[in-house]
Formats: sequence, C-alpha cells, structure tokens
Amino acid sequence: MSDILEKLTVCVERGKANKVSPYPPDLKGQDGADELTAEAIKKGISPDDILQKALVVGMSNIGQKFSEGKAFVPEMLMSAKAMKAAMVHLKPFFTSGEVKQKGTVVLGTIQGDLHDIGKNLVAMMVEGAGWKVIDLGVDVGFDKIEQILKDNPGTIVGLSALLTTTMVNMKTVVEKVKAMNPDNIVMIGGAPVTQDYCDEIGADFYSSDPQGAIDYLNGIAS
Amino acid sequence: MGRDFTIKLEPLGEKLRVKENTPLKDILFKYGIEFPCGGKGICGGCKIKMLDGDIPLNREHQQALNKLGLSPDIRLACRSIVTSDLTLEIDQFETFILADSSSFRFTPAEGFGIAIDLGTTTLVAQLLDLSTGHVLDAVTRLNPQAEFGADVISRIEYAIRNAGLSVLQNLIRESIAAMVNKLIFRHKVAVTKVVIVGNTVMQHIFSGLDLTPLSAYPFESKKKAFYSFSPEELKFHTEINAEVLFLPSLGSFVGSDILAGILATRLHQSKKYIALIDLGTNGEIVVGNKDKILCASTAAGPAFEGTNIRMGMRASTGAISSIRDNGDGIKFHVIGNEVPKGICGSGLIDAIAVFIKKDIIDVGGKIKDNTDHIELKPPVIISQRDIRELQLAKGAIAAGLQILLDQLEITHDQVESVYIAGAFGNFINIENTRRIGLIEFQEDKIHKMGNTALIGAKMSLFLDEEDIEPILAITDHVSLEMIPDFQDLFADKMMFE
Repeated sequence: MSDILEKLTVCVERGKANKVSPYPPDLKGQDGADELTAEAIKKGISPDDILQKALVVGMSNIGQKFSEGKAFVPEMLMSAKAMKAAMVHLKPFFTSGEVKQKGTVVLGTIQGDLHDIGKNLVAMMVEGAGWKVIDLGVDVGFDKIEQILKDNPGTIVGLSALLTTTMVNMKTVVEKVKAMNPDNIVMIGGAPVTQDYCDEIGADFYSSDPQGAIDYLNGIAS
Repeated sequence: MGRDFTIKLEPLGEKLRVKENTPLKDILFKYGIEFPCGGKGICGGCKIKMLDGDIPLNREHQQALNKLGLSPDIRLACRSIVTSDLTLEIDQFETFILADSSSFRFTPAEGFGIAIDLGTTTLVAQLLDLSTGHVLDAVTRLNPQAEFGADVISRIEYAIRNAGLSVLQNLIRESIAAMVNKLIFRHKVAVTKVVIVGNTVMQHIFSGLDLTPLSAYPFESKKKAFYSFSPEELKFHTEINAEVLFLPSLGSFVGSDILAGILATRLHQSKKYIALIDLGTNGEIVVGNKDKILCASTAAGPAFEGTNIRMGMRASTGAISSIRDNGDGIKFHVIGNEVPKGICGSGLIDAIAVFIKKDIIDVGGKIKDNTDHIELKPPVIISQRDIRELQLAKGAIAAGLQILLDQLEITHDQVESVYIAGAFGNFINIENTRRIGLIEFQEDKIHKMGNTALIGAKMSLFLDEEDIEPILAITDHVSLEMIPDFQDLFADKMMFE
C-alpha cells in the first residue's frame, strides 16, 4: 500500500499526470497520478489516506520548494495537472461525504480580472490540503460570493488579483463580507497585493505564495 | 582655458554644459549612444549628426568617415572632442527601433504622407513621397510616457488613479507634433495624409479616450473605430492641410499596430492561411486568410526583452546575442565584440536550445545536475529561474497559437507562411525557436519581417477607410483566458518537446 502512495506523492510533486505524459522526462512511460490513484482505490486504500498520505504530501512538497525559490510556476502548473488527474477519481468520495474535509473555502479572481492561474494553483493546493473548495472562477464580485456565505456561514473567502487596476475591487468585497459577518475570514493574494494593502482594507490574511495560505488554513483547522 | 560649451541633443531636446575638450564618448552614452566596436572608430555605430556647430576632424577621424562612406555632417562620437557649442542629432537607437526601409506594393498617389508607429517604448515617423513610395526621411524618439511606467498597465494605472490621462495625452501629442513638424520643416513639402498606428492603450491615450474599460474585464476597447484629428488640434505645422488618422484597434489589447501587421503581411488577401507573431510584451498573434482572421494577445511578458531575466538586457553593446555549438565548442557572439555584460532574448533562446541539445537542460526545463545556473561566457550566466521565465513566455505564445488554429479548425501544416514581427524578432535564430517549441511551424515557412506596424502604416497612406473596413469585418478577437483548458495547454506548451 505505502508503495503506491509513495509513487503517487512523487507524481504529484513532480507533475506526472498520466502514463502518456512525457513530463518529467525521467518518469517517461511510467504510471502517473491518474493510473496510480485508480489503482489505489481498486486496491481498497481509503480515499482519505490517498488524499492525506499522498496528494497532500506531494502538493505540500512542491509548495515548499516554490516558497524557497527552488521550483517555479511551470512546475507548479504540472503538479496542478497531476493533482487534477488524481482528484477526478477522488471527487465522488468527497461528495458522498466518505472523506472528511477540514472546512470550506470559496475562491475567486477578483471582479474585473481574468488572470486565474495563481488562483487555480491555490485552489489545487487548498483542495490537496484537505479542504472543500468552491471555485467561482474569474471576475468574481460580492454578488457571486453572497449566496455561498448565506448557505454555508463561515466559509472562508479567498480572493486574488494580478492587476493593480483590479486589486482595488478587493476592498469592496472585504467590506461587504465583513458587513455580513465581521468574523468571516477573507484571505487575499496575487502579484500586486501586499501585507500593507491587506491591513489597509481589513482583510484577515495575505501570503505571497500558496504554501503560506495552506499553513494559515491548517492553523485554523487544528 | 577650460571654457564651457553648450551641447543640444535632438530629438531629445536635452541641453548639456560641458568643459572644453570633453570627449563626446564620456557624455553621450547615457543618452542612448552606444559604441558597438568599443570606441575604435571602426563600426560607425556611434555616429551622430551635426545640426549646428562643428566638430573638427583629425586625419584618423576623416579616414574613418571616408571608409564608412558617411556624409560631411556626420561624426563618430567615439572620435569627437568638444571645442564649440553644438547641436547634435542622436538617433543611435534607431537601429533598435527598426525604422523600416523595406519595399512594398502600392498605387501611386499625389503629394506626401507621414506614417507614424506610436509604440509603448519608441516612436517612429517616416515621410513618404506618395508618387514614388520612397521614404524621404525618418525621425525617431523615445515615448516620453515611459516616465510613468514601461508597460501599458502602468500607464493605464497612472491615467486612472492620478487623473493623468491629459498629462499622458499632452506628452505624446507634443512628441508626435515635434516629429511631424521636423519632417515638414526639413523637406518643405505638402503633406496630405498622416496615419498613426499603435496598440490599444496608446490609441486611447492619444485620442483622449477613457481608459477605465481597458483596466478590467471584459477589457473592452473602442474597437473598429477610426479616429481622425485636425492638424490644428494636434499643433502640427500650420502649413499642413492633411487628414490625420489613427487606425482602429482590433479588440481588447490588440491594436492598430497589429492591423497594420495584417496589411503588411497581406494576410487579408491570401487564400491560404498566414500567421503573424509579434514577440513583444503583449505577444500578439494573428492567424487567418481572406475570409476569416482571428487575433489574440498572449501576455507573454517581458522575458524576450530581457526583463525578469537575471542578467537580461536588450540587444545592445555587451549583450550575448547568439550562441552556437558546431561540435567544436560553444561559440558566443557578443554585440560590439567586447566583454559580455548580459544576455538578450535571442541569446537566451539560443542558450536554451544549445543546452537542451547537449542534454544539460532536460525537456521539462530543469538543469540536469540540479545546480541553479549555467555559466555562459564569464561573467554571464543563465539561472534556473531564467529558463522558467522563458518557458512561461514561450508557453503563452505557443498555446495562444494552438487555440487560434483550433478555433479555425486547421493544423500547423495548413498555415502557408509565418511572419515574425517586432524588434526582438529580427535577431532570433529561427531553427532555435523551433527547437525550444516557441514557434511550431516548418522552418521554411517562417520569415522575419521587422517592423510590420510601420510597414502597414505606410501602406495605409495609399488606402481609404473603405479599404480597411472589410478587414475589420472579418477579424475577431479571441480572449485566451476564457478558453477552457487554457491552463493545461499553457503548461504543456511550456515543455521543450
């Protein structure tokens, strides 16, 4: 059992999505996250173990390297692809409630902004860390978030922006979320965002990389 | 002894006070004059034009001028010493701005016209005799808005946040007027038409249009609208009685510089499919034929221009501009043949292509021995991060092209010709762009075309709005970010396979 999970960890960390994927070159022709996850489920390994002992570890490893400047966006994107391939097999277990998740996070690229690669990476990492993720996509204003917060009070809100011109829209969303519930957590991130800006608009947390958000969320969950 | 003299620099409009006998080499470098041969008086790369005053010649300087076939009002800055007040024209940067001199087909017309390429960084204006199509003169300048940021997003931000639209508009209009007036003053001809092309943001600023729609999704531009101006409102020379036309944008961030590129490549007249790739920060791409044209901007980022690269620089003196491995060791070419200072976009592409071939970089882009950099010619290196930056840029272009092809339901093989435009495009090694997967077309289809914006602007001097409208009607803009699976395709196209 541990052999498969170890291999799966490597696949997620190194971005090996499936057997036909030529990347990374030294794993060419070997099973990827897709095949290994299917195999693990078939062998009766619990979806929770697959998530916690393989996917979470793999994403955390690559996230750590990214924070340290030892891995870069192209590698993160490949890991996200591998993660996605594994998640296809695990999704049914999440919806059935068989896998216990740590909480719910709603994520979106802020109103007016279309740049979603950073947000997608965070979504993968958060999901990989054992949280339920509601990804609202791009161009997300308060109107889209409001219903989710009504249905699931306490859902953590995460917003990203890549443009200085759209970052300003975060302020409005934070204000409106806080007006609904002053204790509702809002995390923000993206290239132009800073800790100062986070403080200025009254958001709860800022991180310059996805791993920081994971550490913060895990701190809340424990 | 030690008298002071005044040196005026055109077209910059700068005035300097310098001591007698100061070598021009010491003061002009920071105004864009470079010394490709290292100041040996060999290459002519540092030539300047005397508009007023005189720089005395010694025998060696005279011989150098004769050898290079330069006119009597030209001097080499590296051989020149200040002995009087001077007005100098320095347009060294023209070589990099690509003041194009290529020929094109046209129907002769009466009078004279001016074609202007209004770039984010540089401005070029050319005066044409419309009866012969000949370029009589050209002037170039740096875009004075650069003070408010190098890229279009920072200009938008300045315009919106600081209510700076009129500041930016005045700056650019003054520069364009000065360039036009200079051409008219020099040649005293009757200019009947002026055409300006530029990206969407430059068009909005010049025309005084609100930039807010371009600051956020859906990034709507005043597409497909012609803007015309009177010479008076632009403060052009009073004798000019011309129509001044800013050609329309194609949508979102794809501007009339790309429309001009379509004209230049004759894409809109071709039965077969043609692709145009502009390797700038916005990385605009166009694929189409006479029936349908799709365009997109890829936000390739500035890696090709040396930004975000540890030792990156533009293609100027001291840049490693090409790298070859002919089996007997790696050969580096450094612009100006001196000790290298950095690497430019073409050098970076070559470096990666060479090291992939030598199996030092793997197809995923990783340096194989796990070190964080590769040494080139000392002290220049490329870092692991540099390779990753280039992967993002090339992945964006290649994925964007794939999406346009998919939407047209054609393959790479069905594209007849591929034109590479832009300042950077002229220096690149086509074989290596293929090797790294930046441009995935057969080598014999790929052509470097230089400044297609300027070529197209010149061609449009001979056209009416009615000639251009059909192109607009068949051209659609594609928002790449809205394509499902863009991210996965983008990731795949980053690989070197």
